[in-house]
Amino acid sequence: MQTPTTKRLLLAWLGLCTITLGAWFLSTEGAPADTSSSDMLTYTGLAIATVKVRIIVVEFMEAWRQSKRLQRVFDVWLLLLMAGLALVYALGLDMPTV
Amino acid sequence: MTELSAAIAPLPPIPQESTPDSDPQPQSPSDLQRAHLSGVWAFVLLECLIFSAYFVIYMLYRMHAPQDFSRDQAHLSPTFGLINTLLLLTSSWLVAQAVANARAGKFRSALYTTYATTGLGAVFVGSKLTEWGHEIHHGFTFLSSDFFSFYFFLTGIHIVHVLVGFIFLTIALVRLRGTEPALAALEAAAVYWHMVDLLWVIIFALLYVVR
Repeated sequence: MQTPTTKRLLLAWLGLCTITLGAWFLSTEGAPADTSSSDMLTYTGLAIATVKVRIIVVEFMEAWRQSKRLQRVFDVWLLLLMAGLALVYALGLDMPTV
Repeated sequence: MTELSAAIAPLPPIPQESTPDSDPQPQSPSDLQRAHLSGVWAFVLLECLIFSAYFVIYMLYRMHAPQDFSRDQAHLSPTFGLINTLLLLTSSWLVAQAVANARAGKFRSALYTTYATTGLGAVFVGSKLTEWGHEIHHGFTFLSSDFFSFYFFLTGIHIVHVLVGFIFLTIALVRLRGTEPALAALEAAAVYWHMVDLLWVIIFALLYVVR
């Protein structure tokens, strides 16, 4: 019989696998034909990675069990990292190509 | 820094799940074991910060030559990336399940799922080395281009962390097979293994998806 924890973990794993398949589909079938679709692909890929990492930290790592502050530290780290990566990518779009 | 120390400071023991399974002796880690777990969390946070620097440096290099990076990136197989990601996600799920089993006192189930986690980790390393062999066979090495330098560096340093994860998992397996308290060792191994997983998720996005 499945306990609530087992069910929660199973759902998290299924969700992660589904999202990963979506990202893989984007990187193959959704190969960009022009720069604007390439931007969209990049931002979508980063957003998908953000969601996946958050699910891993909350559902698998259970940082909140250790302390709620730790969970917040991870949230802030993830937000800053992904925003930083998106920002660097966006700045690169405005640079003249060599 | 004080904020960070407070964040990883352990809370009082959490109420355990009870189940009618055989050997129903839920384990509660001692204060010392919880302190060790806090050390693992601090280590994991530090590793995440170090990898964050690698990721930002990768994007900065990419910013200066996006077309070169996209051209080289097209030589990677997204299917390899997909398989590797699914392997690590599944191993992460299994070790989370192992922790849940151990908390409920089901140590035999926890032992088997930890073995399965280690097995999938080994398959991941094999798959990654196969992918490396594939790239090298086609003439792409560490020195071929900036993109491939980052590709081999990021995936290589990640494999080193997977190997360190095997050490954590082996300690947990030895504890689970023996009579010593196993929950704290398993929790520490699981936290580290999940970190290996989440870092791969970002590496997958940067190397295989971002264009």
